[in-house]
This record gives sequence, C-alpha cells and structure tokens, in this order.
Amino acid sequence: MRFGRTSKAIGVAAAAVLALSACATAGGGSEETGTAGGSQAGGSISVAETNAFSSFNSESAQGNVDINGKIAYMTRGGFYHIDNELNVVRNEEFGTYEKVSDDPLVVKYTVNEGVTWSDGTPVDAGDLLLTWLIESGYANDAKTNEDGKVTSGTSYFDYAGDTSGLALTDQPEVGDDGRSITLTYSKPYADWEIAFGGLSDGGIGAPAHVVAEKAGLADEQALVDLIQGLKRGDPDSPAEANDQLQKVADFWNTGFDTKSLPSDTSLYLSSGPFVVDSITPDQSITLVRNDSYTWGPDPKVDEITVRFIGAAPDQVQALKNGEVDIIAPQPSADTVELLQAIDGVNVDVDDQLAYDHIDLNYSGVFADPDVRQAFMKVVPRQAIVDRIVKPLKDDAAPLNSQFFVPAQDAYAESAENNGSSAYDKVDIDGARQLLDGREPEVRIMYNKDNPNRADAYALIQESAEKAGFKIVDGGLGASDWSAALGDGTYDATIFGWTNPGVGVSGVPQIFKTGAGSNFNGFSNKKADELMDELIVTTDKAKQDEIIMQIDKIVWDSYYGLPLFQSVGLDAYNSNRIEGVKYQPNQTGVFWNFWEWGVKE
Amino acid sequence: MLTYIARRLVTAVLILLGASFVVYQLTALSGDPLHDLRASNAPNKDQLIQQRIDLLNLDVPAPVRYFQWLGGAVRCVIPTQCDLGYAINGQPVTEALGRAMGMTILLVSAAAVLAIVIGVALGIVTALRQYSTLDYGVTFMAFLFFSLPVFWVAVLLKEFAAIGFNNFLRDPHIPLQTILLIGLVSAVVWFVCAAGTLPRRFGAAAIGFVLAAAVMWVLSATGWFATPGLGLAVIALTGTAIAFGTTLLAAGLRNRRALYAALASAGAGVVLYFPIQPLLAQATGLMIFLLAVATVLAGLAAGYLMGGYDRRQNMSAAAITAFLTGGLILLDRYMQAWPAYMDNSRINGRPIATIGSQTPNLRGDFWIHGLDTFTHLLLPTIALLLISLASYSRYARSSMLEIMNMDYIRTARAKGLSERTVVMRHAFRNALIPIATIVAFDIGGLIGGAVITENVFAFAGMGQLFIKSLERVDPNPVMGVFLVTGIVALVFNLIADLVYSALDPRVRVKA
Repeated sequence: MRFGRTSKAIGVAAAAVLALSACATAGGGSEETGTAGGSQAGGSISVAETNAFSSFNSESAQGNVDINGKIAYMTRGGFYHIDNELNVVRNEEFGTYEKVSDDPLVVKYTVNEGVTWSDGTPVDAGDLLLTWLIESGYANDAKTNEDGKVTSGTSYFDYAGDTSGLALTDQPEVGDDGRSITLTYSKPYADWEIAFGGLSDGGIGAPAHVVAEKAGLADEQALVDLIQGLKRGDPDSPAEANDQLQKVADFWNTGFDTKSLPSDTSLYLSSGPFVVDSITPDQSITLVRNDSYTWGPDPKVDEITVRFIGAAPDQVQALKNGEVDIIAPQPSADTVELLQAIDGVNVDVDDQLAYDHIDLNYSGVFADPDVRQAFMKVVPRQAIVDRIVKPLKDDAAPLNSQFFVPAQDAYAESAENNGSSAYDKVDIDGARQLLDGREPEVRIMYNKDNPNRADAYALIQESAEKAGFKIVDGGLGASDWSAALGDGTYDATIFGWTNPGVGVSGVPQIFKTGAGSNFNGFSNKKADELMDELIVTTDKAKQDEIIMQIDKIVWDSYYGLPLFQSVGLDAYNSNRIEGVKYQPNQTGVFWNFWEWGVKE
Repeated sequence: MLTYIARRLVTAVLILLGASFVVYQLTALSGDPLHDLRASNAPNKDQLIQQRIDLLNLDVPAPVRYFQWLGGAVRCVIPTQCDLGYAINGQPVTEALGRAMGMTILLVSAAAVLAIVIGVALGIVTALRQYSTLDYGVTFMAFLFFSLPVFWVAVLLKEFAAIGFNNFLRDPHIPLQTILLIGLVSAVVWFVCAAGTLPRRFGAAAIGFVLAAAVMWVLSATGWFATPGLGLAVIALTGTAIAFGTTLLAAGLRNRRALYAALASAGAGVVLYFPIQPLLAQATGLMIFLLAVATVLAGLAAGYLMGGYDRRQNMSAAAITAFLTGGLILLDRYMQAWPAYMDNSRINGRPIATIGSQTPNLRGDFWIHGLDTFTHLLLPTIALLLISLASYSRYARSSMLEIMNMDYIRTARAKGLSERTVVMRHAFRNALIPIATIVAFDIGGLIGGAVITENVFAFAGMGQLFIKSLERVDPNPVMGVFLVTGIVALVFNLIADLVYSALDPRVRVKA
C-alpha cells in the first residue's frame, strides 16, 4: 500500500514534468522579452473618448454615435473634410467633384483611379451609388402620420441624417469609366458643396461589393443594376416593397453593428489612412496604418488607440498617468483647473458650435402654450451661465438665438428681433400668473453623468419650483439618455446640439415637422415652408434672412430656450506629442489626425 | 453525505427557480423596453418596434415570457446549447455575459483571496492578543477602511499609487527625509506589534526603524525600483524563513523531521533556481500551473520520505514551504521581466495603470502580459481589499475570542499541550467554521457587486452590465447576471456547508 502511494506520487510528478515540455511556448522566449511591441517607426497615440464604439456604420440610426463617426472619419476616404476654421478642404487625391452647370444644378463626382478598399477592390461608382441611395432616401415611399407611424409604403435605409438635400437629385448617371456619378438637382440647392461624400459624414462609407454579397446579391454589378432600376419612391402611390432592396437595407441597417472585432474582415474594410486592427469591447479600439492608402494626407503616426473612459476626472487622471495622450472631455471649471495644474499638458479652451438648450415637448403637460411660456420665464439662464460657463470663460453670456452663435454676423440682429429679451431675467410672478394656480408636473431628462447638465438641471429645478412647477428628475446615464430623446418619457430635456458649422441643412433636421432630430414635436407650417425655401437658396444673405424669420417663429411658439454656447476643451500631452489642434465642430480633435506626431 | 448533497442541490435549484421568477417579473415590469422607440421619429419606427418585439418576445406577457426564457436557460446545462436570449441591442446575452464575467472574476478574485487570508490572519492575531496596542491599532484601521467610500479611495489611489508612483519611477531615488519617514512608520508598526515590556517594545521600534531605513536606502542606492529582482541570496534567506515559519505553525519547531523536510523543500527551490530559468523563459499559463502542482507534490514527497510518527505534519510543512518558495522564484522571474515591460513603448515607463484591464495591443511574452495584468489590477484590488479586509478581520477576531474561552481550550491547556497546538489545532480550526459561511456569502456578493469599483476603473464587468441593463428595462442581461450570481451564491453556500462538516464532526453526525 505504501509503496503504491509513493509510486503513484512519483508517477504523477513525472507525468507533470513531461507535460511541461509540451506546453512551453514555441521558440525561445528571453529575446522576445526585450523587443517593444509593434512597428514603432511613427509611434502610437492614444485618445480618450467618452462613448464606447458600437458600429462600423456611423450613419444608421443605431450606429449614429459620435465615436463611431470618428472611427469612420479615420478609416474612410472622402471628397472633402472641414478644417478647424470651418473651410471645406477638398481631397483631390481621393477624387474630384465639380459643378457642371448651375441651372439645373449638376455636380459630377469622380473617384481617382487606384483608390481601393483595404481588400483591394477599387472604390468605384457602385460605392458612390449606394451611398447616394442611402443618403437621398430615393426609393423610400413611406407615408407617416403625425405620430411618425408608417401608414403605407416602405422606408428602406434607416439613415440617421437628413435626406432633404440629395432627395432633390435624380437617378445619377454613372460615368463611362465606372468611377464617377453625376447628380442632377431638380432645384438649386444651397449646400451642394457639402452634400455628398464628406469625411465628417462618414465619407463613402458603404463598400457596395460587401453589402451586395451580404444581401445575397450575385456581385456589386447586381447591386448597381438594382439601384439603377429603382424608381423614385412616391409616398402618395407606394410601390410594392422591393424584397431585394429590403435585404440590402436590412444588412446596411444592422449588419455593421458590433462591439468586438468581427472575424469577417469585409465588415470593416477601410478606404482611409487607418484600418481597425483590434477591439477590446467597451475598453478600446486600435487603428493601424492602412498600407495600401496613398490618396490623401499621410498620417505621421502608425497607430491610434481610442480608449473609452466615461467620466472626465478619470480621463484627466489617465492623461496625467500617460495612459492616454489626448483627451477632450466635456469641459467644466474643475476639469480645466485640474488639467492646467498638470505639467507638460497643453490645454485648449475655446468656443464651440454646440450649445446647450432646454426643449419643451409640444405634448403632455406642455401641450398648453401658457405652461411652456411660464416654464421659459423661470429658467434662470444668467445663473446657469454664471455657474457653468463663467468659470471657464469670462465674457460668457446666455445665447439668444436658436440658430446663430455670436460669432456669426446675423446673430445680433436675430437676437434683437426674435423676442428672446423676454427671457433675460427670471420672472417668477409672470410664470405664476400664466400658470394660474396650476402645479404642472414636469419631468426633465438630461445626461446625469454630465456635470454641466446636472448643474443646469439643479438650477432650473430650484427656480421652477418657486413658481409652482413640480419637477421630476428624469436624468439618465451617459449611454442611455440619447436613446431616450423624443421617446415621450419626459416633458423637457436639457441637451446639446452640435451643428456642422457649414451649410444650412442642419436647420430642417431639427426644426422641420417630423424630422429625424425633431424630438419635441415642434411643427409649424410657416416654418416648414421657410425651411423648404431655405434649402434651395444659395445666396448667403438671403439664407440669413430666412433663418431669422424661422428663429422668430420658434421663439414665438415657446419652443424652449437656448442656454449657452458650449465651451470646448481638449488637452494633450505636449511633452510627448504634437500637431493636435482645437476644432470647434463635431469631429473634434480628430479633424487633423494625420498631423498628429510623436516627438522624438 | 451524498443524499445530503443531493438534497441541498434540489433545494438550490428550487430557490433559483423561485428567485429567478421574481427577479424576471420585477425587471420586466419595471418599465417599457420599447420606450426609446415608441416616440421615435424614424420613418421605419413600426418596423423597428416589430423587430424588437420579435427579438425579445415582447408580445408574450412577462410571466409566460419567463418560462420561454427558462426553456433556453435550462439548456445551459449543456454549454453549447445555452440560450439566454438577447439584449435590447441585439447582442446575445451569453456573449455579453461571458465577457463581463471574465472581467469581474479577474477583478475580484485576487481581492477576495487576499482579503480572506490577510483578514483572517489579522483577526486571529488580534484575538490572541486582545486589548493590546496591536489589537486597538488593527481595530482602528479596520473601522477606518470599512467606512471609507470606495470611489474616493479609488481616486486617491489613482493619484498617489499610480500617478505619484509612476512619477517616482522616472528617477527611482528616495530622498533622505522619505527614508526617515518610512523608517518612522516602520518603527511605529514594530512598536505596536511587539509584545512585552516598554523597553523591549522601544527596542523593537528601533530595530524596525533601522531595518526599514536600511532596506529603503539599499533599494534606492542600487536602483532596485528600475531593475527589481530578488536574487538567489534573498530567495535562499526568505525560503529558510518560510521553512521555519510554516514548520512553526504546522508542526512546531520541535518536530525536527518536519523542519528538515521544509528546509529540504526550500533548499530544492534554491538549487533549482538556475536550472529552471531556461524553462521559465518559455512559460505559458498551463506550464506554471503544472509546475505549481509538481512543486506541491515534491513537497509532499519530501515530507513523506522524511518519515516519523506523524507524516502529515511533515508533508504539509514541506508542501507549503515548497509552494511558497516556488512563488518566490516566480516573483523573481516577473521582476526580471520588469525592465523590458517598463521600456515597452506602450508602457513608456509608466507602469501602474488607472483604467481598464490591459494595455491595448501590448505585445510580449507570458511574463510581460502577467505584469500588465498585475499593474492594471493592482489599484482596484487594493481598493476592494481595504474594504472587505475589515469585516473579515472583525469576524475572525470575535470568532477566535469566543473559541479561546471555551472549556475544551482550558482542558487542552490543562493537559499540558503547547500553546501552538492549542491555538492551531484546537482553536483556529473551530474559529474558521463561522467564517466559512461569511466567506461563502461574500464571494457571491463580490461577483455581482463590484459596481462602483468597476465604474471608476473603467472595467466592463458584471456590475456595469447589470446596472446598464436595468436602466434600459432589459430583462435578459439582468437575468444572466442574476443567474451567475445566484448560482455562485448557492454553490458557495453548499460548499460552506460541506466545509462545515469537514471542520466540525458534529454537523456530519447530524447529516
């Protein structure tokens, strides 16, 4: 028995030792220890972002999150980008576009020869056609009622942007070389230069050959034929739903959504300077140089890693600890103070095109204009500015227009005439009179993880309760509040708009009846007509005049209040990297990522 | 015993069924899972709503839907057949859950083990020296840590233990006043820990001061923080100390055979230090595990071969010594990889991390990745440890105190047993019985409950999954989290009961 146990023990030990040789790493180990990871000629830069990556399609309703757009910005080719002075900068190495004629407005887009997706397939007219189809809503013939319900017809692509510009174009003509399309507008269109294929709108985002294959079509040509065979959708006489197109749309709508790196590389093809290399879900995404890319500015760094860190203090500590090189958190006085105290960190504080605002739903407790007006009277705009913006920027004042920012020429005139002066000061008594003894319960939704919004909420709550409003805190977490927009679970919401800064087509996107970003149900016939006129007006002065009229209508209907123009903030480790420049629009610091470099 | 386990398992399944039904209903009825779509202005809103209804079976009333969910969940008995449904964003719950579970286990396991070991040890020691300065000191610290808010501790840790320490590593030279300060702290600790007359305790304090200051000075002067390592000498010294320590606890120093077995294990470790290095250079996780098993077996063998009237004592002393000495060699090997890790361009000389569980795209061998996990887990582990340490030490202390006043302890002393035997054999084991229950409860709680820590350190674990899903009225991921925590809690309760019967024969008789 004893002998048996001993021999057993020895036997197990011997087997274990033998097994060790089997499970050693292949090849020698100690030399590898010394090598640094990856190709490091240009170095790598790490950026912190608030939201987590969730889709390779940043243009669909589900995928329309800022971080997805930024990843697309770095991994897509496009005809132009917007620089930090809000100029349109064309990328002629990717392709060209030119106005062929003014009346009718005809624009021809040509992709240069040699521009390819990262699998080697050329970027060609098929890709342009598919992008056009998605962004124009050409085939859609759905009719919706007042609640936004589809009553007849079909809506194919679940496109998050505004289709009103490209909707003016007819079925494009494909150039002989198969690399160009020509768009013919039925009416003059104000923003034709930024209507199609810009990097900040996802560039030429959908690889047609992949979408065709995934939708069960034979090849890209089959998709091109399908698109060219389409008739313009007519909501008044809806056609039978096109099954093939529906499949294409279904794939485009959700097929690119993923939190982790798919094993199928065709889902994340790149036609831009970088290609996605790896993803750690909810933690980071790493982009590496796209080796085949030659059509545009050549990035200095070899690798960009985006890490997802929700809270601003955590981002600041990560920057301080060198885990990230660039951060652009929502600015607050504390954050700026923290950042300025760090050695070797360059902090940019500047105006943004974004502004915070409180919107009142045209339904529920706010269906009554008197209640809306009363609520607007009690919003302490000056106090909010003093609390939130003043500590960052001394000359801050409440924003007095829903459409212009003070930097624009038309702001002063519009602010003077739109009736905003009635809400300069809190008027509790006036609100009480309008409420006439009622005590409406108002649920305010905002991003509770954003300290600015939480501050604004607290100030509004305090002031509104004095006038008899019952305020319910409907604040949601960072990942959820945007999904709740327009869902009717609240009566008022505090959030920010980020306008592109160029063009006027952003206006109907927010204010037109039933538009994609019209969350509070604002609907005004006159305003709709003016906006229809606006988007076909090419003259800048005339555009401003129309917008001023709309501004007045919006204020007169007690839409809500713009609170203040946001202050933008970015900070980077200036000891280690260079080339980072502040950008006021939604692309943020990423706008010139190709100029980022690691110092020697 | 088998019927007992079977009975417990059946009860556990019934409890799980009842609780999961209640949780499912509560989650499903807590809001409207379609709320984000209902008032959406998307032209294809109806289609989106229909898609989600199909995905989550929302057309079925919640009580019935529970049974549909249960149908899928039951199949998880066969892992490949598992179907826990989909989250509201269309992701399969099994996928999200698997990922989150891995992250949470990574986060809490080290903290849980350390908290139990250190907490229980502290509790026992303070109980044995009740009302001493040590007892008061530990009690004070325990309550201090217990009452600290974890998010605040986390931010402080990030500021000082990560950013501050990383700054220090740029030029790892400790200034004189810091050396003196550390010496003073050490002196206070030695004073508190030392027993006996006041002069003796002051003597201990002096030793503590000199020792700590000297070690710090040597570490600083040799640039140890930049190129750390233990070296053969330190391993040999520490190994011998471990051999004496484990023998003292497990067998008593008078048991010479046990001491020789332990010393032989430690010696074998020292002898094997150089031969094993080439093998370690090619290490994988599996290899380290097998090496650990082999080490323990070798220790057991050494103890067995030493013979004597009580081989079990030899074997445990030798096995523990072998395991710990092996651990020292492992630690030394990690330290050898440290300079390479520090020089890695992705680390850039700032190793201690404040967020996440890994450096993205870090390339390197087993040791580099091990160090990377260590530097990322260090701060959250400390944060979790400080807080759970307190309760363990308090429970262990009171349990030990109670046992030490038992009649049979007095009997043991009266019949002339050594204090070591009384404490280790008669008191310690019995003191562990109530702690086993608490440990079982806590592990279940830890896996589901590191919500705040996960948040501050940007860990995408179970706590975050639970909270975020709950906010979205998304029952499937919530149920996934519940299932895991529920099963873990029940299993650990069962284990606690089994450990009970192993520790306390009276329970065995009843069962």
